[in-house]
Amino acid sequence: MSSMQRAKQWATFARIWHIYDAKWQNPFDSSKTIAKYLKGQHKPIYHPLSDCGDHVVVINCRDIALPGPEWYQRVFFHHTGYPKGGATWTLAWELHEKNPTKIMERAVHRAVGGTLLRKGLMARLHLFPDEHVSEDLLRHVTSQIPQLRVQPRRLDSYSEEEVRDFPKVFDYPADHVIR
Amino acid sequence: MVFLTSPAWIRAAKPDKFWRRRRTFRLSAHYFGRARNCYKTAIIRVEKALSYALVGRQQKKKDMVQLWEQRLEAGCAEHGTSLPVLRQGLMRCNVLLNRKTLADLAIWEPRTFKVRGSQLAME
Repeated sequence: MSSMQRAKQWATFARIWHIYDAKWQNPFDSSKTIAKYLKGQHKPIYHPLSDCGDHVVVINCRDIALPGPEWYQRVFFHHTGYPKGGATWTLAWELHEKNPTKIMERAVHRAVGGTLLRKGLMARLHLFPDEHVSEDLLRHVTSQIPQLRVQPRRLDSYSEEEVRDFPKVFDYPADHVIR
Repeated sequence: MVFLTSPAWIRAAKPDKFWRRRRTFRLSAHYFGRARNCYKTAIIRVEKALSYALVGRQQKKKDMVQLWEQRLEAGCAEHGTSLPVLRQGLMRCNVLLNRKTLADLAIWEPRTFKVRGSQLAME
C-alpha cells in the first residue's frame, strides 16, 4: 500500500466530530438525525459491522422545544431494578428541571436502536446544557449538522436600524392612537 | 396372460441404510450431543437447519439491496440531493446502472458519482 493510498484510507475512516445546536429543536426528530451520524449512516462506506460512526457534540440541550403539550404529557419511565416498587414515572418538564440533557439523551438512546453497539455509540455522544463546551472537545470539531428547523428571530433581536429600514406599506399618522 | 400392472410397482432397491443415513450425518457432523449421532434427532435438526438456510438465502438478497440503498442515500445527501431524485434522473437519461454499481461508484469513485449526478441535474 502506497503512502497515498494509506492516507486515503485514514481520511476515509477517520472519526469526524460534528456539532449540533439543539436550540428550539424537537429532540425526538433531532435524535434520528444525530443517531444517523453516530452510526455512520451519512457515509457511503456505511456497513453495520464496520465501526464507521462519528462523534456528535450537542449544545444548548436546555433550550430544546417539545411539540405541543408534551412538556406536561410525555412521561419518562425509570426502574431501579429492585423488586416491589422500583418504578418511577417522571414528567418531561420535571426531568428537564432535574437534568437539562436527560431528555436528549433518552431520545438518542432510543433512536440508535437496541443493538450491542448502543453503548459504544452513546459514548460518542457529548451533551451540554448550554453553549459552554470544554476546549479539548471543541478543538476536534470540524463539521456542523444543520438544524432541522430554522430558528425564528425574535423582534427584540432586531436592531433599531433594521426595524426602521424594513419595507412598510404605510406609516401610521402622527396622531394615531394604538390601544 | 401378461400382467402389466405389477411390474410397474417394482422400484429400484434403496441403498443400504448406512449410506442413506450418512447423507444426513454429513450435515449434522458439527452438531452437539445426540443431534450429531442419533438419526432420529439428527434428521429433525438438519431439516430445520436447511429451512433456516433457505430463509437466510432469501433474506441476504434483501439485506444487500437495503445496504446499497442506504449507501446511495448517504452518497446523494453528500451532494444535497436524494435517492428518488437520482433514480428519476437516471431513468430519464436512460442510464441503466443498478443499485450495486451506483453504490460502488459512490464509494470508490466519488468524483464519477458526483459528475453523474450533476450531469443528470443539468439535463
